[in-house]
Amino acid sequence: MDLMKLRAQRRSSFWGKEVLPYLGYVLQSGVAALTLFALIAFSAWYTSLVQHIPAGFPIRWIMLVLFVPLTVNSSFRTYLAPADTVFLIPQESRMKNYFQGSWTSGVVYKLLGLVLIFLILWPLYVRSDVNPKPFWLFLIVLVALKLLASYGCWKELRMVSRRAAFAYRLLRYVVLALSMAAWLWQPSGRSLIFIVLLAATYLAALRLPVKHPVAWEKLIAQEKIQSGRVLMVLGWFVNIPGRGQRVYARRWLSWAGNNIPWKPEAAYRYLLMKSFVRSDILGIVVRVGILAAFLAWWQRGGIVGIAIYWFFVFLAGVQLSSLLRFHSESFWLHVYPVAPGSRRRNAIKLAFQIQLLFAAVTWLPLLGAGPERPGSILMALLGGIVLCLLSRYFAGRKKTEDDDDDE
Amino acid sequence: MNGNTVLDIQGLSGGYSLNRPVLHDVSFHVNPGEMVGLIGLNGAGKSTTMKHILGLMNPQKGEIRVQGKKRDEDAETYHGSLAFVPESPLLYDEMTVREHLEFTARAYNVPRGDYEERADRLSRIFRMQDKMDSLSTQLSKGMRQKVMIMCAFVARPSLYIIDEPFLGLDPLGIRSLLDFMVELKEGGSSILLSSHILSTIENYCDRFVVLHQGSVIAQGSLEAIEAQAGTAGAGLEEMFYTLVQGRD
Repeated sequence: MDLMKLRAQRRSSFWGKEVLPYLGYVLQSGVAALTLFALIAFSAWYTSLVQHIPAGFPIRWIMLVLFVPLTVNSSFRTYLAPADTVFLIPQESRMKNYFQGSWTSGVVYKLLGLVLIFLILWPLYVRSDVNPKPFWLFLIVLVALKLLASYGCWKELRMVSRRAAFAYRLLRYVVLALSMAAWLWQPSGRSLIFIVLLAATYLAALRLPVKHPVAWEKLIAQEKIQSGRVLMVLGWFVNIPGRGQRVYARRWLSWAGNNIPWKPEAAYRYLLMKSFVRSDILGIVVRVGILAAFLAWWQRGGIVGIAIYWFFVFLAGVQLSSLLRFHSESFWLHVYPVAPGSRRRNAIKLAFQIQLLFAAVTWLPLLGAGPERPGSILMALLGGIVLCLLSRYFAGRKKTEDDDDDE
Repeated sequence: MNGNTVLDIQGLSGGYSLNRPVLHDVSFHVNPGEMVGLIGLNGAGKSTTMKHILGLMNPQKGEIRVQGKKRDEDAETYHGSLAFVPESPLLYDEMTVREHLEFTARAYNVPRGDYEERADRLSRIFRMQDKMDSLSTQLSKGMRQKVMIMCAFVARPSLYIIDEPFLGLDPLGIRSLLDFMVELKEGGSSILLSSHILSTIENYCDRFVVLHQGSVIAQGSLEAIEAQAGTAGAGLEEMFYTLVQGRD
């Protein structure tokens, strides 16, 4: 069995048959055009920032906050399927050939993204840091740290103990954060010695835990998460049937949804709320919200702050539109005595309520502009509410255009 | 059959393709407080019959009434009158056991107090008290099947459609399920039960419907089936074997 070929076939099948057919819809969608517009607006704002950098600009902190997650985060697409635990296990000793492609693509594409962001940030860094590091040396350090994190992540995937894997994941974050901080704040020579010593210790530590030759179950679960994420992003633009998504226990949020009215018409909202608080979408919306609040507060004095606020309210609406596709093919909604159309109606209502809450919370930092600009602050909030209403309107309109599954 | 029939299927023909129906003129009924065993080989049409009852497939011919109502007359009342336990557990990954029960109770409009009382009792009967706040992904297959059963029982409709409920259940789970079904039956509920474990259901079902290649080849009480099979003094397994054997 040619394992390299098998992986290549699976890869082309995923991207060619599951993703490519939807790309046309993504390009056609208004969301894609608006995102492009936002990128152009960001470019204009960024160019202006680079030309007029404020005094005391915290560039090192910004570089740290941006590059630590970018270097630490690693993932590998293996395209493994549950049936592989039966059919590929006899090939276990040869699976290195299969995973070669996963390692290469998992590192190369992310490195390209990292280099691109580095190139974008470089003008800001070199103009605002009092003692900037040399371009090539900075790039080499970034690439080396990325390779180190990817190698660590791959080893974690093979660890037998889940606790050990979790501990090593934390260690990876600490090692990369310390290395990046040392590189940004300390002189080049001293920081390089520190990074090399830390990396060597980390690599030695990675040899200690017991590892599976191939961690089948973990890799299959990871693959499900990875493919689910790709389809989730596509799902923002177009309906994709039958996609699974990652579920987080989040016991501290188990109360959410318990106060939803106890009646059959609202039963689906209960299911949706439970699904929302345990989904990726909640995490994304919260992260977007924190970023929105921070940026809106930072630019609170001018129109840029309001534009940022509106953009993020719109973005939250796009993310929350995923709720409309949650459980769209649920078996039980055909069997249980819920009213026709209940699924879609409840999804639209819940997405609207959450977006409205998002709009209210992320608007609060704009109040920091002070009492002298009450008109524009109020206008920002009204604009946010209008965006929420528009999201609701378009979701409802889409309902009438689609062949609704439950009506 | 009488006016009080809970489930009434008359002349049902249906399947995935118009040209090749799976079911041929299937007729049977389930009375209040009755447990009926739907038995047949793999591919005999048991699951297809159940899918038609659940409204997941539309009959090509014939009609299905639950509590005297067809699905297209009043879908909500129709579905509110039945609960289904599938052969393979179908659970939401995002919900705990307790939340599955609550979602079902909400959908079936079970009063909150009744839900809490039933959920508590069912968790004890099926030994799931310490799993009530676990996500469905953290359960074994047998436990997932128990959740399916508990969801159906928390709804308390007049008709239960139960497809191969014993698969994956431990012996205590099977016993609890059988005891609970008897209790429901005595309380007036009706059960249509499909299973291959004939020796188990033989002693629990009031009547049997034997499906073979999409047609009803025998139905009635154990004695009636015995007479149709011509196997005096034999068990249900032997009767079924005799009925099916000569028809291949």
